[in-house]
This record gives sequence, structure tokens and C-alpha cells, in this order.
Amino acid sequence: MNRRSFLLTSAAALALPRVVLANGETHRLRDFYAPGGGLSDLARALEGKPVTVAGFMAPPLKADSQFFVLTKQPMAVCPFCETEADWPDNIMAVYTQRKFRVIAFNRKIETSGTLSLGAYRDPDTGFLSMVRIEDARFRRA
Amino acid sequence: MKHIATSVLALAVASAAVADGHGNSLPQADNEWFTSAQAEIQAQLAKRDNTNRALNIILMISDGNGVGTNYASRLFAGQQEGGFGDEYVQPHEAFPNLALVKTYNANAQTPDSAGTGTAMMSGIKTKAGIVGVNQNVNRGDCSTIKGNTVETFNEIMSEMGKATGIVSTARITHATPASAYAKSVDRNFEASVPEGCDAQKDIATQLIDAMEAGVIDVAMGGGRRNFHGSDIIGEEGGKGRRAEGENLIARATDELGAHYAWNLESFNAAPMDGSKPVLGLFHGSHMQYEADRGDEPSLADMTAAAIKMLEAKGGDNGFFLQVEAGRVDHANHGGNLARVVRDQKAMADAVAIADELTDDADTLIIVTADHEHALAFNGYCGRGSDILGLCYKIDGNGIAHSDELEIASDGKPYTVAGYLNGPGSVLIEQVGGEYFGSRPNVSQEEATDIDYLQQAAIPKSSETHSGEDVAVYAKGPFAHLFDGTIEQNVVFHVMHHAATAE
Repeated sequence: MNRRSFLLTSAAALALPRVVLANGETHRLRDFYAPGGGLSDLARALEGKPVTVAGFMAPPLKADSQFFVLTKQPMAVCPFCETEADWPDNIMAVYTQRKFRVIAFNRKIETSGTLSLGAYRDPDTGFLSMVRIEDARFRRA
Repeated sequence: MKHIATSVLALAVASAAVADGHGNSLPQADNEWFTSAQAEIQAQLAKRDNTNRALNIILMISDGNGVGTNYASRLFAGQQEGGFGDEYVQPHEAFPNLALVKTYNANAQTPDSAGTGTAMMSGIKTKAGIVGVNQNVNRGDCSTIKGNTVETFNEIMSEMGKATGIVSTARITHATPASAYAKSVDRNFEASVPEGCDAQKDIATQLIDAMEAGVIDVAMGGGRRNFHGSDIIGEEGGKGRRAEGENLIARATDELGAHYAWNLESFNAAPMDGSKPVLGLFHGSHMQYEADRGDEPSLADMTAAAIKMLEAKGGDNGFFLQVEAGRVDHANHGGNLARVVRDQKAMADAVAIADELTDDADTLIIVTADHEHALAFNGYCGRGSDILGLCYKIDGNGIAHSDELEIASDGKPYTVAGYLNGPGSVLIEQVGGEYFGSRPNVSQEEATDIDYLQQAAIPKSSETHSGEDVAVYAKGPFAHLFDGTIEQNVVFHVMHHAATAE
């Protein structure tokens, strides 16, 4: 391999980890849940992988946090801001890379990060989640 | 369908009858619209008042299903069957009797489900937000309840020896079903009353008290969390809303011998012979929307089961049943027409099954709404424009809509339906707190998505009710007492007259 192409290839390889967006496909929240409850095959297949999900930001539980709830429809009241109950199939917990400015609950966003499954109780808020996007960033759709 | 049989029969009589001023037959005499209308005239002429005493009465309330919401649901159901939708007839729309209903509460131009529920179930208008009490009560103030409670239709029918029941897809302690058994200065006292309030019990306790007293024999809906304490985890993992240690479900099963159902399996296992009271609590809070329903019985399932149970229990004395489609209203509040129309379709299915299981001769069936919402419709859309989708232009050379979209002044298309206010508002809160925005350019695919919120004008976290009239449809004994434009509390009076007529 000649020196130039080697350098170009390694530069490209170095750049890769910063790209969070997956294969460009934007999923819907409902893609991750099976009808009648439970996780879909897609959710299990994408566990631990980068995903991009369209949705809305529910009004945050507290200010200045690195956490919000992603909802499939605009919801003005944080759906499910209790610490327990059945995990509904219309939300996902999002843990962001950095602190963010709150977006209006009815402005569509796309959130990208790593899909994480399984029960996890947030130490700060006590919020129990079953599906999360971690290390997330988002942008207006 | 009964309607078509009547029209075919009537055709033979009809076509000869209509002539012009000179006695010649009209050029439009063979037009389908013309002949159908002629058949309708014959059907109307053949109507006879039913003055039998009503053995059974079924009051079916589609919460939030005013004339507009009902219209959207008609088109949806018709389009699901492959038609244009406009010509479709929902089961209640074939009932012979109809009136327009004025829904305002004593202190509210725009009513809520509690004041309207009390009007229908107790025969008086009262303030918004309160159940089973008259307008002298101040909302939330326990000290004003004494001397101001009213009897409910379930209580009156039970005293007459009838079996009674309530079915709802909302929490069974929510305003509409609560108006069947509870007396509360606030509709929100579902699982507890404020400290210091001794003059009344919470609504869930009042339900179990009513079941103990034999006033209510069957109660099915959502709201399980209002029946057990926070220390007890419900069947589907939810925490209770009551004080620790309290368990009204255990009281119902252990002390009243009730059958308790919480999912399809336990629902299907419920006794149908009236031998036990039946308490169904199928979700921690409201039951799921029909569009999302999983391990829960449908409204039609619950209605059919309740009718059979109450028939068995009531025997020769008959029964009274209140059925509520509780979540047409919730989907409207959410600005999500796709779920509105599907829940109303579930109600229509419940109406059909109630009709099928009972006899017009002795059963009065009333289908109505408690109030309308802020839903409205745009034009000028051609036939077959998806009621959930974009407004396509009328085709002057055909019947079905053209392929061209109607475009607004901003150069973008628009949906047939929209809301005046709600979470679908195109005015979005900006950084700094101001609200502005422009209409998104929506595609047909987006607009017909199940989660889509139709565009709205005024931003509100929850879309509002409206004070417009709703319709009441009725068939059976004394259904003809519904006519003209009536106050909503008259609904009670028709039921009472039908049940007590000589």
C-alpha cells in the first residue's frame, strides 16, 4: 500500500468514532416496541449500536440535567414523571453527552446515540427506564 | 341492513308518487339520490311511537363525541370499508329518533364531563367539575356538600329492582362513570379526599360502597391504581394511589364475593349468570386506546358481557347500563384525530352489539356525547379525501377527488381536519419565551400517520372542550321524547319516564 493511501485510510479511521449517526436511518419510537408490549426484534438487534430516533422532548423533570424523556407525540406534561409504573411504549429515556437547552415540547427533534436496553434507575431523579439512548445528541428535525 | 330492505320495498310505492305541477314525472325520478330520499320519506311515515314501559335502558355516552367529532368518525369508518366515507351510516345514525343537546353547565359555557354527567344521570344541571351534587356546591369545598347531594339514575333503577352496571374505557372513577354512583365536591377526589374533609368519601370507596349496597352489580373499566395502596403493586406492576394498607379490591372480592378481572383471561372467566358482582379494573389508569389495545377487552366486549350479566341478575325486572367510550375525549385533548376516530369506531361496535343483544320493544338505547371539542374542518375537499389526511381538490369531471392538493395562501397544503387549539399548534415556544412559527409542509404520509397531531392555531398543552351542541340518538320505548333542541338534563327525564310509564 503506498504511503499516501495509508495515511488517508488511517485519518479516516481516526475520524470514525466521532460520527454518532448510524446508517442514516431515522427510526420511530414505535419501531422499538412489539404490539401488545415488550421490545421488538429491531430493538434487540440494535442494542448497543448507534441509533437515530425521531420524537419530541417532554418538559424536563429538572433544569440543567443531561436527561430528558423522548416522546412519540408532543406531550406538554412529562408523561410518566412518576418513579414507577408500567413502562409505556411511547417514550424513551435520553441521556445526553452534554447539558442542553430545553426545546419546546411540540418541536420535532431527532436524537442520536447508543441504544441501551434493560432496567436502570436514574440516581438523581429515581426515574426507572427500560429503554435508553445514551451518549446522545439531538437536532431539530 | 334493515334500512335498505325498507327502501326497496318502498320504491314500488314511491316512484309513482312524485310528479311536477302538471302531473308529469320529474326528470330526476330515477336518480339514485331521489329514489333513496323517497324511500326515507316512506320509512319516516311508517314510524310509530313505542309507548311500552322500558324494561331495560342502556345509556351510551361517547365522551367528547360531538357532531364534528362524530362526523370525522363516520368518514373514517366508511373509508376503512373502502367507501368515500360521507355516505356511511354508523349504527346510532340509523336510530329513528334524534335531538340536539345543549351541554352547558350551570357555571360553564364550556362544560366538562362531571357537570354534564350529573345532568344526564341526575336530571339537573350543575357546576363544572362536580358529580352527584347540585349547583349550590362550591368545587373542592367539602363543607358545602351537606344537603346538596342528588340521587343518580343507577340508584333509582336499583330501587326499582333492576340490575345496574357501568362500563368505561376511562378510569372507572373518572367523571362520567362516577356520575352513576358518586357524590363529590370535586371530580378529582378519585382515590382520596383532602385532609379535614369528613363530609364525603373518595370516589373509589363510593363505588365499592355502591356495590356493597347492591346499587351497582357490574363495574368495568380502568383505574386500578385508585383501589389499592402505594404499598401494593397492581397486577401489571403499578403503584397504588391510596394510603398504605388500603385495598378496595380485596374488600370487593373478600367481603362482597365479587369476581375481580384485570386482563382478558380473568375477563373471560367472569361469571355471566349474575351470581356475583363483577369488578373489572383493566389498567392502572385509563384503558388503552383502541388503536393500541393489548391484553384488555374492547368496549364492545365489555358491553356485551355487562348486558348478559345484568340480564341474568335483573331477570323480569330488567337492567340499566351506562356505557362510556371514555377516550375519544382524551385523543381529542391530545390533538390526535387518528386515535379519536378509532375509539369512536370501538364505541360504534359497542352500540351495534347492544342493539343486537336487546329487543327494540322493551329496551331503550340512547347514544350521545357529553360535550364537543375544538375540532373543525377545512374545504374544499373532493370526495374520498382521507379524513385524517390532506384536502384534495374537487374534480369537476368526476366523483372522486382530483390528484391535486388544495393549497393555502402560504403555498402549502392542509389537512381536512384541524384543531382550534392544542399541542398541535404551529406556534412554538422559542428560546426566550415568545411563541411563533409557520405551518409545516406536511405530506399525506405524515398526515395519515397514527401519531400525527393535526395543525392547530392556539397553543395549549391540552386541547379544550367546546360548548357546541351534541346529538342524542335513541331507539326503543319513548325514544320519540327526544326531539328538537333540548337541555342535556332532559336525557335523565326521558329515561325516567320510559322506566316508569304506565
